[in-house]
Parts: sequence; C-alpha cells; structure tokens
Amino acid sequence: MAEGKLIKPDLDFVKRVMSSGGESLKKCYQCATCSVVCNVTPDDKPFPRKEMIHAQWGLKEKLFGNPDIWICHQCSDCTAYCPRGAKPGEVLGAIRKVSIEHYSFPSFMGRMVGDPKFLIFLLAVPILLFAAVAPYVGHLIPAQYLEGHTPGYLHEVITSTEPIVYAEKFMPVPFIDTIFICAALFACLGFFIGVVKYWKDLTAFGGKPKGSILNAAGATITDFLAHKNFKKCEVTVDRAKSHLFVFYGFVGLAITTTWAIFYLYGLHRESPYPLYDPMKILGNASAVALLLGILWVISNRSKNAEKAGKGSYYDWLFISVVLTIVVTGILSEVLRLLGISLLAYPVYFIHLVAIFFLFAYAPFSKMAHMVYRTTALVYAKSIGREKEN
Amino acid sequence: MEKKLGVYICGGCSIGEGLNLEKLSLVATKEYKIPICKTHPALCGEEGVGTIKTGMEAEGVNTIVIAACSGRVKYDVFDFGPANIVERVNIREQVVWSHDWTKQVKVKTKDAEGKDVVKEETQPNDDTQMLAEDYLRMGIVKAQKTNQVDPYLIENVERNILVIGGGITGLTAAIEAAKTGYEVTIVEKAAQLGGYAAKQRKQIPTKAPYTNLEPNSIQEKIKEATSNSKVTIKLNTEIARISGGPGQFDVSFKPAGTQSKWDIPPKKKEEESKDKPAEAAEKPAEEPLELPADQIKCEDILTSDPDAERFGAVVVAAGGRPSDPSQFEHLGFGKFANVITNTMLEENAAKGKIVRPSDGKEARTVAFIQSPGLNGDDSDFPYASSVTSMISLKQANYLTEDYSDGKAYIFYKHMRTPGHYENFYKSAQNNPGIFLSRGEVKSVSENADKGLTVEVHDTIMGEKIAVDVDMVVLAAGMTPETQFEPVINLAYRQGPAFRDLELFDGYADSNYICFPYETRRTGIYTAGNVRQTMTNGECVEDATGAALKAIQCLESTNRGMAVHPRSGDMSFPEFFFQRCTQCKRCTEECPFGALDDDEKGTPKPNPTRCRRCGTCMGACPERIVSFKNYHIDMIGSMVKAINVPDEDEEKYRIVAFVCENDALPALDMAGLHKLKYSADIRFIPVRCLGSVNTIWIADAMSKGNDGVLLIGCKYGDDYQCHFVKGSELCNKRMDNVAETLGKLRLEPVRVQQIQFSIDEYEKIPEVIGKFVEVIEGVGFNPMKGF
Repeated sequence: MAEGKLIKPDLDFVKRVMSSGGESLKKCYQCATCSVVCNVTPDDKPFPRKEMIHAQWGLKEKLFGNPDIWICHQCSDCTAYCPRGAKPGEVLGAIRKVSIEHYSFPSFMGRMVGDPKFLIFLLAVPILLFAAVAPYVGHLIPAQYLEGHTPGYLHEVITSTEPIVYAEKFMPVPFIDTIFICAALFACLGFFIGVVKYWKDLTAFGGKPKGSILNAAGATITDFLAHKNFKKCEVTVDRAKSHLFVFYGFVGLAITTTWAIFYLYGLHRESPYPLYDPMKILGNASAVALLLGILWVISNRSKNAEKAGKGSYYDWLFISVVLTIVVTGILSEVLRLLGISLLAYPVYFIHLVAIFFLFAYAPFSKMAHMVYRTTALVYAKSIGREKEN
Repeated sequence: MEKKLGVYICGGCSIGEGLNLEKLSLVATKEYKIPICKTHPALCGEEGVGTIKTGMEAEGVNTIVIAACSGRVKYDVFDFGPANIVERVNIREQVVWSHDWTKQVKVKTKDAEGKDVVKEETQPNDDTQMLAEDYLRMGIVKAQKTNQVDPYLIENVERNILVIGGGITGLTAAIEAAKTGYEVTIVEKAAQLGGYAAKQRKQIPTKAPYTNLEPNSIQEKIKEATSNSKVTIKLNTEIARISGGPGQFDVSFKPAGTQSKWDIPPKKKEEESKDKPAEAAEKPAEEPLELPADQIKCEDILTSDPDAERFGAVVVAAGGRPSDPSQFEHLGFGKFANVITNTMLEENAAKGKIVRPSDGKEARTVAFIQSPGLNGDDSDFPYASSVTSMISLKQANYLTEDYSDGKAYIFYKHMRTPGHYENFYKSAQNNPGIFLSRGEVKSVSENADKGLTVEVHDTIMGEKIAVDVDMVVLAAGMTPETQFEPVINLAYRQGPAFRDLELFDGYADSNYICFPYETRRTGIYTAGNVRQTMTNGECVEDATGAALKAIQCLESTNRGMAVHPRSGDMSFPEFFFQRCTQCKRCTEECPFGALDDDEKGTPKPNPTRCRRCGTCMGACPERIVSFKNYHIDMIGSMVKAINVPDEDEEKYRIVAFVCENDALPALDMAGLHKLKYSADIRFIPVRCLGSVNTIWIADAMSKGNDGVLLIGCKYGDDYQCHFVKGSELCNKRMDNVAETLGKLRLEPVRVQQIQFSIDEYEKIPEVIGKFVEVIEGVGFNPMKGF
C-alpha cells in the first residue's frame, strides 16, 4: 500500500450512534453549514462537519481520541441550520454517549445505563440494597420486642405521630454512609480508569500537551464558573443560564454535604439541624437553585425541540434522576417539618435510591460529561485548541 | 385556379398612427393594379374579418394579402380554408413596433421680419413608410407566385409499426402502440425477450416516494406483449435491409447472425471517394466493411425484395452493450477475478446472494467505483450517467439486503441523482451499511486470499485512505448498439446507418432537448438505451413517446403531410428532371437522405422521407427543385420587388434572408419589446438557410442592394438548426458566394451569415446595427442603377 491509510469502518459503531439519539446521522451530505454557524468550534479543522463523516464511516478512533466532541456544548445552532435535517448537535451528543460507554469500567455498565431495557435492573440495585437494611435495624420486628431499640417495626414507624427523624427512626447513618461510600468508590474507580484510558487516547491522537496542565486546568475551571463557551450558543441561548443554576445548585449541595460530614463526624452533632443553621440555609438555597435550574432545562428542551431536537433517552434519564433527587429532597424536608410521616418516609426512600442512581452510575450516565468534558477541555487548552476571540 | 387578389390593410395596434395607410394602399392599387384594397382599423375583429369575407363572397377574392401583424399570431382568425391562399405581410412587429414614426427635420423659414431661421420640425418618418411599402410589394408578389398545394399521397399507407429490439423499451413501445390499435412486429436478435432488464434482480423506483427498489417488471411486460394479438414477435431475427420510406418501409428479415443477399452491399472503392462529401468519407460508422470474397453477392439498394414485409414506421429500441472498462489498468478489470462491472454484478445478484466470482464465497464488503479517477481526471467511465449512479446505489442496497453486516463503499466523482431520484439517494444514504465518499481511486490491488485493497485519494474524510474489500464493482456505462452495428441497415444512398454517429459517441444524431426520438431518418425513431442511457422507468416512458411519434408519422404520411418539424406542411419538392445535370448535390446534401440517385446519378425523390426544408432547392445549381408555394422564382421576384432608391437619395438597402424557425420569431419578439433598428433592411423569411439558393444573393446585388444578410440557426456540434445541417451548408456555400462577389469587384463583406438563437432577440438591434455599419463602411453598391 502506497500512501492511503488502511481504514476499517465499523458498522456496529454507526448503528450504535444511530440508535443512541443520532438516527439522523446518515442524512449529512457534508455541506459544512454546521461548521460555519458554530460559535464554539476552533477555526482550524472545525467541527462538526468532520465528525459527521467520520461517524458515517464508522471511524470511531478519530472520534474518541478527539477532544472536539467535548468542545461541542450542543448549542444546536448546527441542527437548526442544517439543510438536510442531519441534526449534528444530536449526533455529537450520541457520539459522546457512545464515547462514555467506550471508556466505561466495567464496560457492561456503560451498555446498561445507555439502554432503556436495563433501567429496571439498575433501579433494583439501590432498592434491594436499602431494603436489605431493614432486618438489621429491626424494621421487620414489632417495637415491643425491641426493648426500646429504635427504629422499630416499619409499619409502626411510618404511622407514628412522633417527630420525624430519618436517621434515627428509618435509615441509620452508618448504613447510608457505608452504601454511599461504596457507591462513590465504585464511581471513582470507574472514572479513574476511564479518564486514564481517555487521556492516553487523547495524547495518542493529538500529541503530548504543550503547556502546563495545571494552568490549562485553572483556565478551564475559570471558564466553567462563568459558562464562557456555553454562552456563545444562539438557538438555545437560555440553556447556558439554566445549566448555570443546575451547576451552582450541585456545587452548593456538594459544599452542604461536606459541611454535614464535618458536623456529624467532627462536631458529633446529629441531624436534623434547625432551619437557621447556616449549613441548612446553604443546602436549602442550593436545592431551590437546582429545582429551578432543572425545571428550566426541561422547559428549554421542550421549547427548542423543533429546532434542536427532542433529545435522547440518555439525556432524559439524567434529567429525570436529577429532578427526582431535588423534588424528593425538598419534599422530604417539607413533609418532615409538617410531620406527615406516612408520606415522608417513602419519599425519603425514593430520594436515597435516586441519589444512589446518580452517584453509583455517574461514570456511565450523562453525569460523566462533567469528568470527560473537563478532561477534554483541559487537554484542548493545553494543546492550544480553542476558538480565538 | 385563377387567382384573384385582395389586399387588406389593418390600422390597429398603432399601425394607423405610424403609417400613412392611404399612401400604402397606393402600392396595391396603383403599382400592382389590384382593385380590391381595403383598410380597416381592426382587421382581426368581427367586422374586419367580415370585410375580407365579403370580398371573397361578393368579388371572388381567393388570394388574400393581409398587411397587419406577424403571421405567427392570429393565424386562426385569418384562416379562410384550404381553398384560399393567405399571405401575411408583417407591418406591425417588423415596421411600426420597431421603427420611429416621426423624425426631427430642420426646416428653413423666414420669420416675421423676413430673416432666415432654421426651425426643428416633426415630420412623419418616410423611412418607416418606405419599409412598409416594400413589405407590401413583396407580399403581393409572393401571393401572386404562390400556387395551391397538392399533397403527395401514396396508396395504401401501411399502418403498422416495426419495433427493433425486444427489451423493456421495445416491449413497451409495442404494447403502447398495440393499445391504440396498431399492428406491431417486434424483431429481436436473441432467442428470448427481455434484454438486459430480464437480468436484473430489482428495478430502480419508478413511482412515489422513490425511496425503495421495486420488483422487476419485465416479466409482466413480456407476458403482456406475447398475449397481445396485435403484437407479432420474431425472435432470433435481424434486419437485412429497410428500403422505401415512411408509410412504405419494405423490410427484409434474416436469421440472426447470418448473411443474406438483401444485406446492404458494400460501396465500391471509386464510388466511395467521389460519392461522399469529403467529411463523410472519414466516417467509420457509415462505411460498410469490405467483405471477403466468399461473401454472398448483395442486391443493389434500388432493387426491391419481393418477400419484404411492409411497415409504416420504425421504432429502434436496440439498447446497448456494457462498455468494457479494461482500458483503466489501475482498476484491475480483467486482471483480478473479483473486479467486475455493474452488469456482471446485476446478473450475479439476480441469481441469488452476492458472491465473489473467484470462489463463490459471500461478498460482504464491496467497493463500488463510479469514476476511474486517474491523474486527476474528473470524468466518469465512458457512457456513465445518472443511471450508473443509480445502479450503484441500487446494488449497494442488494448487499445490505443479503447480509446484515454487509458494507458497500461507493467512491464517486459525481453522484448524479436528478429529480425524484434524489429521494432514492437519500434513502440509500440513510442505510448504515452504505458508505459514500467522493474520491479519486488510485489503485486496486489483489491480496493473498483474492480479496482486494482499494486506495482512494482526495476523499471527503480529508485524507488518503485504503479499504479492504471482497469485491470491486465498476460503474461502466452502456454503449449504444448503433456504435457497433448500423442496426437499421437502410437501403439509402447515404448509407445503411444513422449519420454523424461519431459526433455523439455512437448515439443517433438528434436534438434531444427540442426533438426527442427524432433521428435524421424520417419515420425511424429511437427510444431507450440506444438513444440515451436510461433506467427501466425512463425506458418505459421513452418507449411510449417513441410509439406515439411512430403513429404520428404514419398518420401524417397518410394525409400527405410533413411529420417534423414542419408538421402538417403539404408541400413537397418537385424536380424538373429535363434540366438535371446529375451533379448529385441534392442527394448528398439532403440532411435526411431523402434522395437515392440511380447509377447515372439522377436523383430519385422519396417524398415521404422529406422534411420540406428545401436544402435540395438551395443546393441545386440548375435550380430545378421547387415547391408549389416556395420556389426560386418566388423569392427572386420578392427580392426584385424591393424599391431600391437611387444613390443620390443616400439610402442604403439591405436584404436579409431569415430562418423561419428561430430568427423570425426572434424578430417578432424584438418588435414586441419595441426594440428599434435600421429601416434600411428588408427581411425575407426562408424555410431554412439551407434552402437559400445563391441566385437570390446575385439577384439582390444586381438590383443595387448594398448588402445581404443571412440570419439562421447555430451550427456545429451543438447545432440548433431544425434541419440539422441547413445553416452549416449555407455557410459552406458562402465561400462560393464570396468568390463570385470578388469577381464582380464587390466586397465580400457585403454578404454575411449570422448564427442566431431564438432567445437572443435583445441582440437584434446590435446585430443589425453592426451590419449596417459595415455596409456604410464599404459604401453604396456600385451596381446601383444599372
């Protein structure tokens, strides 16, 4: 073979992108309108035109090792202007999903999270885990046999008129922490292995970073805090604002959680905490921000569906989980304060299941974008690949 | 019939404002002594037409000269039946709409104090008036010289149709013609019907939504044709010869692949050199091969076969042969077993799953190559077209039908999917197993297991790539059958095949845009792949059109009318043989081969083959060819009717012979747009510039006209001449004209030919203006006044 590089088109990859929300992929006829209207793409070798042909031809190596698919924020300007209905924005979203699957560890988890068939199994894991706690805390035994031990028989707990205390009467903290620490370790391991593999592919494809990675990371995080790139979107201009709410909601809740750990294990103060406690104020404010943000996300998505596409199962699974967490979280607090134990405990249970879902499956769900996008953007900055303006 | 002329002048549409109609009437009444001359403010109205009818009824007028609008409009209003001659004089578009009615003149007068003053005064424009008067003169003369036309009628016009070729086109043509009640005979040289269509797995979509392949419809067509009692089928049969003309084609059949004494005899060497025009002698497609000594002696073309079958018209649906791509060595066709053509793949696919020819193993990955693409050459395979693009898409679909993991790579320079076919392209593009890229294929090489590696540069992926495949399919086109064989084997003096095949890669010469199906042999129509590469659906449509043309031909012939493009014209050329010098010019120059000369060279006219262009009339140096309503004397007399002013009047006169097909409508349009041009020029419509006899030019110059302009269609490879060669032949004759002018010491620039197309009407003032300038540059004709 003289000059041509032997390529091996992967038909399964093409089919996978098409079934992951990129079913319009093959409609592209390479006019490059998308690359022209894109406000985020670098001027040199712009995306998403080249991603479209590479995906059509199943050249997955060129997509996985390429930070461009993560520089894309799915503004959907391309989708709105595409003359052929090829929806490059949706296709790149699907490629990102397949990329997350590709780097996921263990890899079967990637397939399961991306496929609605397996939703019931994924939900069963936290439900069974938390249900398994019941015999250990006496939920299956009537209270009179427990000699003052709490929490006591589940039926009695949820019908009791006493003040509601989730940790003491329903799900003791050591159990929750054990489960969540395991889930978090599982997720961290998944992320770690995934990112190491990803970084290897990035450098193999685009060369070693030129500048300091720390500087690049700093600059990337500064951009994130202001959503600098996201704000360049035109068709879906409000998405940057709604995402900002969700983003800071999560940041606030992360701080709240850390604070709570400090209270519990540092100061040995047991929950619940009074509403005037600064930690509680931060937590509630963050929850409200997250709720508003995620509702705004949903409203934006339905408003833009015609121009930007309806979104895939993968997108909506993630949105639903976040919505469930924030709604059940707020309800748990409100119901607790109102003392409606019949509703409060089941809602709290759902809240725990949803949080588990978000954490344990983070490396395989759309949540993983947080890690892969950061990695890709840090790398892109380090090799000087960004839009000049 | 004794002619009685009546002249009717219209004053409507500004004619009455721009001209002095009373003065104009004097041309008829004083100069030509025609007692009946009436003017009317709106001749086309009920009252105006009534005036004419009164003249016909009360005074016996049967030759009506109407000076009004162009003859191309209101022809229905001024139709007074076949018994009367109507001559239209165009004083609207060509006079008042294209010339100023008044002019500013400086007049010397004396003012109140008796001093000389020069004043500007507006006067009627006498140039415009003179123009109208000349047109009326010419119209009257033309009406006087026109004779009633007797159509050429033949006894027993055969009302059946011969279809050559039994593929999808031939079968459809036969079925469609039979449906309208005509007897049809299909002649097919193979042992079975169906042609290439019978070797297809599926066909390209023919109806909305044009996204999915359709089951092959050929078996239904075969059934329909064989069960139709009006369709006769001759298998294993070829045409030995076709003689005669429309309405009376005598066809000699022979078993396929054999020789017959009714084959067209090869031309003798000496005959060939003097018999053909110089350029024609080089045409390989027309030259019958020199036959070996043991050859059966063939009968002369003028001898008739008593056993011949007679047909009214012929549809040629001979199809084509797959072209051979082995000339593109880098693609390995003929060298590697698994490099095949699209035709080979189609036959393979019709039999079952797609397999490799080398070992019968499943071919799951196949590269389809649309363009040879060597050395940056942008062209596709010979005879490739939108059809080969569609076939590649179709066959790529077969692959994904046969194998769920089948991969079809299509490398193209051009993906042509016009019209509704775009929907099929889109559906193929949406198939995950079909991979499309523009690209230049550099090489195909064979691997150890007989698999192939295709290297492609300049791809849409932005880089040079290579792919491993089980098989390579080349999108070779179909070469028309007429490239290899004359097919029609005409017993015509101009040769057995269609003419000028080499100009169009073996396709029969015709103007495909204006006149599909037409060939340069009247009554013989091409359809399907012999005419242009087509899909099955297009063949069906094309065959239907050709069948209709064949029917139109024999019905027109039956009425003694021309078929095309002078549809309905009943005049035909007559030859005054006593004066024929057997120069053969008419036989050679007729673009349609209507004349077969005998051994002495005397032309034998075949009026049903004739298209009435008059090229023979223009060619004849003895001027023995004439039509009843179009002849040498008529146009010559019209030229002489022009009133040429004396030199001291300082007015130029130019005669322009104008092609009726493109240039004349362009003049009308120029008038309609009120474009102004010189009033020194007089237009005389001619059937075709090919009919212009040089004597008319001599007439014009000797009468003192200062120049002659010939305005006709474009010629050359992309000609627009309705009679194919007319304007080109005229141009050749111009060289002789220039020589003659030189001998008379007249400047050759005084006679010029201009190529003009119907859409260029805006250029009329410019073109005329330029010629007038040239004439003004050389000055007045010195022969003026002699």
